[in-house]
Amino acid sequence: VISSRRRPDIGLTAMRAAAAAGDNRASKNRGAPADGAKGEIMEIDTQPMWPAEAPHGTTAARERPLAVRFTGSGSEYFRIWIVNLLLSIVTLSLYRPWAKVRRLRYFYANTLVDGHAFDFHGNPWKMLRGYLLVGAMLVCYSVAGRFSAMAALVALLILAVLWPALLRASMQFRLANTSWRGLRFRFNGTLGGAYRGMLPLFVPALAMGAMRFELVDPQHPTMTYIKHIYAIMGLTLLVAPLMWWMFKRYQHDNYGLGQWQTKLGVGPGSAYWLALRILGVALGSIIVVAVIVGIGGAVMGGAAMMSGVGVNKVVTFVLIAVLVLIGYMLVLMVPVPYAMSRAQNLVWGHTSCDEVRFDSQLRFDAMFKLTLKNWLLMLVTLGLYYPFAVVSFYRLRVESITPHLSGNLDQLQAQGAGIGDASGDAAGDLFGIDIGL
Amino acid sequence: VTDASSEPSPVEPEGVGADYFDGRTARAHPVRVHVAGDRLVIAGTDVRRSEPLTSVHWPERTRHGVRMLHLADGASVHCRDSLAWDTWSADRAGRRDSMVVRVQQRWKWVMVSTLVLLAFMFVSYRHLLPLAARGVVALIPASADQALGDSALQSIDENGLMKPTTLSLAQQQAVAQAFARSVARLPPGDVPAYDLEFRQSTIGPNAFALPGGTIVLTDELYKVVDGDSDILVGVLGHELGHLRHRHGMRMLVQAGVLSAAAGALYGDFSTLFSQIPVLLGQASYSRAFEHEADVDSVRLMRASGISPAVMARFFVKVRQPAKGAQAASAASAPSLPRLPIALASHPADEERIRFFEDAAREH
Repeated sequence: VISSRRRPDIGLTAMRAAAAAGDNRASKNRGAPADGAKGEIMEIDTQPMWPAEAPHGTTAARERPLAVRFTGSGSEYFRIWIVNLLLSIVTLSLYRPWAKVRRLRYFYANTLVDGHAFDFHGNPWKMLRGYLLVGAMLVCYSVAGRFSAMAALVALLILAVLWPALLRASMQFRLANTSWRGLRFRFNGTLGGAYRGMLPLFVPALAMGAMRFELVDPQHPTMTYIKHIYAIMGLTLLVAPLMWWMFKRYQHDNYGLGQWQTKLGVGPGSAYWLALRILGVALGSIIVVAVIVGIGGAVMGGAAMMSGVGVNKVVTFVLIAVLVLIGYMLVLMVPVPYAMSRAQNLVWGHTSCDEVRFDSQLRFDAMFKLTLKNWLLMLVTLGLYYPFAVVSFYRLRVESITPHLSGNLDQLQAQGAGIGDASGDAAGDLFGIDIGL
Repeated sequence: VTDASSEPSPVEPEGVGADYFDGRTARAHPVRVHVAGDRLVIAGTDVRRSEPLTSVHWPERTRHGVRMLHLADGASVHCRDSLAWDTWSADRAGRRDSMVVRVQQRWKWVMVSTLVLLAFMFVSYRHLLPLAARGVVALIPASADQALGDSALQSIDENGLMKPTTLSLAQQQAVAQAFARSVARLPPGDVPAYDLEFRQSTIGPNAFALPGGTIVLTDELYKVVDGDSDILVGVLGHELGHLRHRHGMRMLVQAGVLSAAAGALYGDFSTLFSQIPVLLGQASYSRAFEHEADVDSVRLMRASGISPAVMARFFVKVRQPAKGAQAASAASAPSLPRLPIALASHPADEERIRFFEDAAREH
């Protein structure tokens, strides 16, 4: 049972100090379980210094953190997932909207902020329409690509032009159908804003499309053509952090609940700084893995030479292959969790509105350990561990976010509802873009 | 929750304690909920509502999670004591779980579902998908195969994997004529159009068929068998089998569907992980295709009076010098363009040798 003991306002300073102390200890003592620091905060947190229900009309100046908890379990999500999967296959995927509603309802009903769960109101019949629409579009797109390059280009162009609108519709639908304490969320992003947010991506894409006309003889590309291609690729890499930031700003400037409207208080400079750090971590891990694989390979090669050619050849080959595989996985498993944790902390740590300030303390070491564990168990169980992996990732990511409230929740009021189109939601799902609240 | 849920009020002992939200403000109203006749009654200090049961949207039962009941006007009732809610809604409100929920909440049925799912996946992976791919490929015009094969050959030539052949024109013609003679003995109308190409290769003795009809024979293979036309007819017959069954296109469709399914299943965990079943599936489909092509090879050899035993000899021959080269090509496999129909990458040589030996005995 989850009790919603609200943190006492006067305890806040003490708690911050405790949190800081806990953090220090954890970083000094890397071997200790990551929960150590958290547990300590929790103890202080749960001291009932205040009645369970905060008195109405507390002054707006005081700030209190709202605890975020996920109470779902991997084993229960496994049961939901497997039945969803079976029904989706039996119905040739027509069941997917119902599966999605069940999945979202389960995750929402178990995500408690300040003791109150989220709720999902999406209508699966509406979502089916959107799913079919987007599915038909994608089938047309992939079929067009098989028959002629020109048709593929046209289809891609149509998709690219529609994409920002679909994305916006998807976020409108998702937020309008999500509620907390009975109030529906809103996504206030404009259509123009969606296109402006995607602008950095369109510039290199258009340039790339224009380049096709420059190419007279595809068999013998000219030197200038190749130079231009490299220039565009470089440009794309250069604008990638800006693009990411603009997209995040488009999202985080437009979330609304009642009178609240969030704002992203961080500039593109931080995105570039983050991209540099991620690049550094990626390069660093590649170097470390290369050195380890190199030394390991040399040692094994030497051992094989000593013990006579031919005898251990196969064993050595297999060992080197395993070593390379491990290296390959490590190269992916260090930068990806690093990027995910730092990106979440950057974006959510700088999201706020009048009365709520978000904070995100997603630790890299926790993400790394979980990624490693999930991968291992996914391989061992041939993928059946998937729902457990999803739940554990979700829990780690969502519980690391803390909203700090300085207003009065009872004064929060609905501002009139707008409900998005379900086809947008299906598009967001198919393309893997989700707002991950 | 609220105090109401932990200590039942003496006035209304019936029903279950919950929070009521009106949908217009974020304020939680502690209430008790009960059923009176065909109406749902929600009662608290500042709330009193009575709604027809038919207009109420009930939450589903799960082990964890808050129960949230929706009313038609956007108001909702949230109960964090899920056990109390479930007991009440089953005993007092007469709610029955849907079929799906009952299956989800029973490990026995979940296990049955898992087994059915695994069996279904296995059957569709082994039989349904290849069957469906055959049907889909029949609908695809042959010009699509041609375009695919042409671009593949072009990229092979451009990447420096293949160089122009060093065989003399006479040697090339001898092979082409021997093969053409054998093919002419096959029943007409059952032979796909083909185009024989010779190349010097950097990947060792090999022969492969590209969609659309191009068969490439490497100089290295020619040299390994000393230009033995019987063996070369067997090898080219195998490649002709790939063309007749349109294996290149079928692999494309099968791998495409497999990768879409794996992506939908595991894509949001990791794209890399979702590629594992695709690779395994490709390897397995490729083995099946090799067998089909071997059957065609035997058919061609029989038609022209060649004993299939020559192919068994060929495998023994090609294996000896190619061992080192095979290991090397396996290690650098990711950088090479995928040629699922390449002869040297065939697994389970022993099995294939046995197949040709058995065919020779029947012969």
